[in-house]
Amino acid sequence: MIPAIPFVPSTPFVSLVPLGALADWGFVLGNADYLVGGLAITIALTVASILLGFAAGFPAGLIEVYGGHYSEAFVASLGVFFRGTPIVVIIIVMFFVVGISPAFLAATFALGLRSAAYQSQIFRGAIESVSGGQMEAARAVGLSRLQAIRHVIVPQALRRSIPGFQNEFTIVLKDTSIAFAIGLAELLTRSYDLFVQRTTAVLEIVLFISLLYFLLTFSTNRVLDALRERFVIPGGEG
Amino acid sequence: MSDPLLSVRDLRKSFGEEEVLRGIDFEMERRDVQVLMGPSGSGKSTLLRCVNRLSEPDDGTITLDGEDTAAMDENDLRRQVGMVFQGFNLFAHLTARKNVSLGLRRVRGFSKSETEERAEEELERVGLADQADSYPAELSGGQQQRVGIARALAMDPKLLLFDEPTSALDPELIGEVLSVMGELADDGMTMLVVTHEMGFAREAATDLLFLDDGTILERGPPTQLFESPEHERTATFLRRLTDLEAGQHG
Repeated sequence: MIPAIPFVPSTPFVSLVPLGALADWGFVLGNADYLVGGLAITIALTVASILLGFAAGFPAGLIEVYGGHYSEAFVASLGVFFRGTPIVVIIIVMFFVVGISPAFLAATFALGLRSAAYQSQIFRGAIESVSGGQMEAARAVGLSRLQAIRHVIVPQALRRSIPGFQNEFTIVLKDTSIAFAIGLAELLTRSYDLFVQRTTAVLEIVLFISLLYFLLTFSTNRVLDALRERFVIPGGEG
Repeated sequence: MSDPLLSVRDLRKSFGEEEVLRGIDFEMERRDVQVLMGPSGSGKSTLLRCVNRLSEPDDGTITLDGEDTAAMDENDLRRQVGMVFQGFNLFAHLTARKNVSLGLRRVRGFSKSETEERAEEELERVGLADQADSYPAELSGGQQQRVGIARALAMDPKLLLFDEPTSALDPELIGEVLSVMGELADDGMTMLVVTHEMGFAREAATDLLFLDDGTILERGPPTQLFESPEHERTATFLRRLTDLEAGQHG
């Protein structure tokens, strides 16, 4: 007979972190609703920024490929500017210099315009990867240039831009934490609020919000994977 | 006598320093099938592309059905002059049916049901009604090219341009495309065809134009050019083609 082993309540991760961690985890979980509120702002900021980025970046990509000399040069230099400036600088300028308020709006403009600059390159690359023969065949049928772009080039380019867009989505989501610099109460700012109250819980709080960030990026990437598969062109092209 | 359907006068086109077309003159009557042959770089494709203005001519006049093409709206011109490409260029994201439908809907303004019906008819005409819902990448090269022909036919063109329609095909797939083209010729379609398929030229062509170095060096009924060409250049080129073909099929 094997003697019954008395049940000792233990959680495996406790031993991995410093003394008093159990209490610190209690502190994290006790404030979970406060952090989840920050998470909601993070999500809202991500969605707003991605949408602004798409609304500006997609036409920008089109202009970079099909635009006239001046429009192309204008869009390209805006892109160089936004890609070449640190996001913290952009966000601080939007809030303190341009004076956009509330902070959420300033953060949306900063992240959104920067994302537009990156998204324009994703779309430009995708558009350029559609073979010239597609445009030619469309024009040969009698479609106007605009119709050809809309019905032939864009549907193929959008499909090809999904992998690049996945990256961009993940980057924007994580970069929302930079709104910390202007005090917007998103996830990282709120975790900061918590760990300055309880300096022993820094690790626990950071682990907890990292998990939240991870769950978000992981799930949205799966959604985009599904989207890509939904629209994949049978036979393996594009 | 009515005017010719297509008339090309002193057509010239340069790319940079290089003059690719140096004064091309020819005419096509309705129901004509004219075959353009010539060494690569002789300007055959450029000539076709000038007719539907995918390339803008530098000089000369092209009239279609009495109308100066340079003065026409380019989209309207292209509606009337169909083109079939060497690389098929089917819209990769659309099924065979939708490839044919797009122009019907967006250029000719057909209703949904008219479009559906007409697309079906055209695919049937090229023997692909049962592949209507396949995507280009799911079709063989020969099938893709037949869809390409159906797409051009759907616009009810007055003239069809073929730019080496079988050059990208495996030898065993060439026949199906040529037979569709032969049927079109029999149905009275006016066709201007760049090809090196001698069999097609012999059977379907009303005239053969031999292009060399940007000019039409020689023209005439195919038998005449094949059997008793005036120019040594034509003779050499056609002899080489004949040898090649014998090698392929023999």
